[in-house]
Amino acid sequence: MKNQSKQGNPIWGFLCSVRLTITLLILLALASIVGTLIPQKEGAVEFAGSLSPETAKLLFSLGLFDMYHTLWFRFLVAFLALNLISCSVNRLPGTWRLFKASPRPDREKPFKDLPPDRSFLASGAQNEVFGALEERLGKRWGRIRKKETQGRYYFYGEKGRFSLFGFYLVHLSVLFILAGSIVGSLSGFEGFVNIVEGEQVDSIALRNRMGRMELGFEVRCDDFEHKTYPNGMPSQYRSRLTFLENGVPVYKADALVNHPVQYRGITFYQSSYGTVAGDRARLRIERTGSPKETTILEVKVGEAVPLPGKGGNFKVIRTEADFRGMLGPAVQIAVYPAEEKDGELRIWLFKNRRLLQERFPPQMLKAKALNPSAFPPYTFHLEALESKHYTGLQVNRDPGVPLVWTGCFLMVAGFIVTFFTSHRRFWVRAVAVQGGVRVDVSGTSSKNPVGLERELDHLVASLRDKFQARERKNAS
Amino acid sequence: MNSMILSYITFVYFFSFLFYLLMMVMGKETLGRAGTWITAIGIAAHTFAIALRWVESYRLGFGHAPFSNLYESLIFFSWTIILLYLIMEWRTKNRTPGVFVTPLAFLAMAYASFSPDIKSQIQPLVPALKSNWLITHVITCFFGYAAFGLSFGLSLMYMIKRLEKGNKGRSFIRFLPGKGILDELNYQMVVIGFLMLTLGIITGSVWAHSAWGSYWSWDPKETWSLITWLVYASVLHSRMVRGWRGKRIAVLSVIGFACVLFTYFGVNYLAGLHSYAKT
Repeated sequence: MKNQSKQGNPIWGFLCSVRLTITLLILLALASIVGTLIPQKEGAVEFAGSLSPETAKLLFSLGLFDMYHTLWFRFLVAFLALNLISCSVNRLPGTWRLFKASPRPDREKPFKDLPPDRSFLASGAQNEVFGALEERLGKRWGRIRKKETQGRYYFYGEKGRFSLFGFYLVHLSVLFILAGSIVGSLSGFEGFVNIVEGEQVDSIALRNRMGRMELGFEVRCDDFEHKTYPNGMPSQYRSRLTFLENGVPVYKADALVNHPVQYRGITFYQSSYGTVAGDRARLRIERTGSPKETTILEVKVGEAVPLPGKGGNFKVIRTEADFRGMLGPAVQIAVYPAEEKDGELRIWLFKNRRLLQERFPPQMLKAKALNPSAFPPYTFHLEALESKHYTGLQVNRDPGVPLVWTGCFLMVAGFIVTFFTSHRRFWVRAVAVQGGVRVDVSGTSSKNPVGLERELDHLVASLRDKFQARERKNAS
Repeated sequence: MNSMILSYITFVYFFSFLFYLLMMVMGKETLGRAGTWITAIGIAAHTFAIALRWVESYRLGFGHAPFSNLYESLIFFSWTIILLYLIMEWRTKNRTPGVFVTPLAFLAMAYASFSPDIKSQIQPLVPALKSNWLITHVITCFFGYAAFGLSFGLSLMYMIKRLEKGNKGRSFIRFLPGKGILDELNYQMVVIGFLMLTLGIITGSVWAHSAWGSYWSWDPKETWSLITWLVYASVLHSRMVRGWRGKRIAVLSVIGFACVLFTYFGVNYLAGLHSYAKT
C-alpha cells in the first residue's frame, strides 16, 4: 500500500509528514528552553533592566518576556495540532482497511521458509485431528476462519485488532488537552485578592487582563492562621472564609495549601499572606528641658493630638507594617507648630531605628523627614504599631479543566494500547501426511516481533502437548 | 542512622561497578555473578535504609514519605536505577550493562552523601508538599528518570559496540550484546521512561492544580519536563513511524538524558516554584 499523499497535493503531503512532526516537536522544545532561560512576566522587568536598551527592545519585540503567550508560540502549537490531525486523517483509510480486513485463511505465503520448530506431527485420524485443532484454536482466539482444500485444512485467527487505533487515542488526547487550555483561556479567569482578617471583599484583581472583576458575592476572612514547626519551618497556612450573598453568610470553609475552597464554580487557593498596619499606634514623646518630660500617647490615624506643653499638635498620617519590605513597622506623622505660619513638618518614625542605622549613612538620617528630633524640643519614638494579618488568595475559574483531565486519561490509555499491545494474525495449516497430520503455525504482528516469536513458540508447544496427551490417552 | 547506612551503600555500588568492569575486561563470568550479588545486597540494605528513614520521620513527630528534598530524591533515584537494572539483568541474562548503569547509581549516592551543599537531616514537610500526590508524583517521575538513565547506558554501549568492526573478537567489546539487542532494549527503556514521565507530568499537573491553582504555569521545572517529553516523543516518532534504528536513536537518547539531568539539577539554577527540590 503506497502512501496516498505521494501522488496527491504536495501541501497535504507536507502537512502529513512525520518529518514536520519531529521538526515541530524540536522547535517547541527549543523555544521552551529559551523561555526558561529568559525570566518571564514578573521576573522579566528586573532582567530587562540589566540588558542594553537595544537588546531589551529586540527581546521585547519578539515577545520573549512572555513567550508562552505570544502569537508565534501559539502558532507553533496550532501547527502541531494541524499536523497531527492531518496525519491521523491521512492514515485513517489504511488503518480502517486493516481493521476490517479478513485475510483468506488458505494463504501459502506465511508458511514460506517456515522454521522447522513451527511444525509438528499429530498422529491420529485426520478428521479427529482437524476437529480437535478447530476446537482448540477457537478457544484461543474466539472467532476463527477456516477453509478446506484438497485434504488441507487452513485456520486463521487474530487478536488485538483494536491496537491499530492506539495512536489515534494518543493524538486525540493531545487535542483534548489543547482544547481544554483554549476553553480555559477564553471563558476562565485567573485573579487574586488580599483580604485583611475580619474584612470582606466583593471583587478581585485579574492577573492577565488589567482591572478588577466583581464576584457577585462577598468573601470574608474571619481568621488567618500560620503555624510553624519547633524548628521554625512553616507547617500550615489556613484561612477561615465565609461566603456571603447580599450580606448574609451562606457558606463557611477553610482554605489551606493543597486544599482549595470552591464556591459557585470559583476556586479559592491559599497562596500567600502578610501583615498590614492597623490604624492604632503608641508613641513616646520626650521633651527636653528641665524637667525632662516623657509622655506616652495612644493615637489613631488621622486624629489631631495636642503636643505636651502646648507646643502645637500632630497627627499620624500613614502607617506601614514593614517599610519598603525590610525596615519594619513605621508611621509618618505631620507636626503643626503653634504658630501657623511655620507650616507642617512630616517625619517618618521607625520602630526599629537600628535597621535604618545599619543601612544608611548617618548624614542621611539627619534629614528632617527621617529625624525624630527634627521638631525641638520634642523627640518622637514609635513604641508599637497595631498589625493585622491578611491572607492572599488565588482566585480562579477554569471550565477547561475536565477536558484536560479527559485528555490525560486518554493519553495514558493510548500509550498502553500503543506500546504494550499489538495486532497479531495467525495462520495454521494442517496437512494429512503419512503417519498423521502435519501442523504448521505462522503469524505476523504489527509490532514487537520478539513478543510474537514468543507467542508462536508457546502456541506450538501447547498444541503439541495437547496432541501428545491425546495419543497417550488413546494408547492406554 | 539511616543516612550513615546510605553513605556506606555508596561504596557497595562502587564495588558492584568494579566487579562488573573486571568481568567485562577479563571475560570471567564469575566476577559478574559476584557483581550481581553485591548489587543485590546493596539494594536490600538500600530498601531497608529508606524504610528506616520513613519510620524515623514518624518518630520525630512529623512522619512523611522520604521524598521531600534533594537528598531524599537522590537516594530514591539511585534505588530506582538499581532496581530497574536488576530486573533488566534478570530478564536478559546479560551483565555488561551493569558497567554502564551502576556508576549512575553510585554517583547519585555519592553526591547525596558527600556533597557539602546537601542536608541529610529529616525535615518536616512545608505546607505545599503536604499532599497525597507527593508519593505518586515522585515515584512516577523517578522511575521515568531511571528508565532514561538505563537507556543512556544502553546507548553508550551501542556506540562502543559500533567500534567493533576492525578488531572483531579481540577486545572486551565482544562481551557486549549485539547491536540489535541493544537497540531493542534501549527502545523498551525509552517506552517505559516515556510512560512514567507522562504519568509524572500528569500527577504533577493534578497536584499543581490543587496547590497553585493552575495545572500548568510554565514553571522552569514543568517546562523542562515538557522539553524532555518532546525530545523522547520525537525519538519514538522517528523510530515507530520513520523506522530509524541504531546510531540515530542512540544519539537522541543521550540528548534526552541530558534533558532529564537538566530537569533534575539544572533547573535549580533558574528561579521557579519547585524550590524545595534544591537542597
